[in-house]
Amino acid sequence: MNNRVRVLRTERGLSQGELAEAMGVSRQTINSIETERYTPSLPLAIALAHYFAKPVEEVFNANGTQST
Amino acid sequence: MRMAPNQREPRGLVSRLCGGLGGWGMFLFSLALGAVMWTASWIGGHPMLGLAMFGIMAAFGAVFVVGRRSETIRLMAAGRHADERWRSIDLRATAFMGIVLGLAVIVAFLWAIAHGRDGQPYAPLGAIAGISYLIAIIYLRWRS
Repeated sequence: MNNRVRVLRTERGLSQGELAEAMGVSRQTINSIETERYTPSLPLAIALAHYFAKPVEEVFNANGTQST
Repeated sequence: MRMAPNQREPRGLVSRLCGGLGGWGMFLFSLALGAVMWTASWIGGHPMLGLAMFGIMAAFGAVFVVGRRSETIRLMAAGRHADERWRSIDLRATAFMGIVLGLAVIVAFLWAIAHGRDGQPYAPLGAIAGISYLIAIIYLRWRS
């Protein structure tokens, strides 16, 4: 599953650790999501989308193509 | 929005055993378990073997104190309070351990009966594994 978490995070000037702290997960988890080695649970995906004030489908793309 | 662990979420071995003890808690838990092993070995007439077990458990526990700066070590010590990715890793690692243990018991059972033995203690161990798997299947099917 492709995602734009890294793009949205860097646009806001956040470190992985800061985003992890805001989401209540580890920095490793944010890194794994950004590098697409880990697909987050639905609650975490929704929480990330809410945090970035975006619809979930703008942050995550399940069909394997990069969302823009 | 912080991601709190779901109380009904499936949990792996480390999560169940360690339940958020933290680094020093894991160290003390390991020391206590080592002391129980030492006492049991002493009662069985093998105090030095027990001492070796205690040393291994103390060294295991010390990893959680010495390595507490490591995020991975902190997540292991966090138990069910660890984040969802770690809980998923813990669950999959527990499943892998179960598969390895199950295969080892089957191989040992076959080896024992092929050598003219009665398959003890592997037969009851295999039965426990098989029955617990069936119980888990029935329970999880009913619950989900």
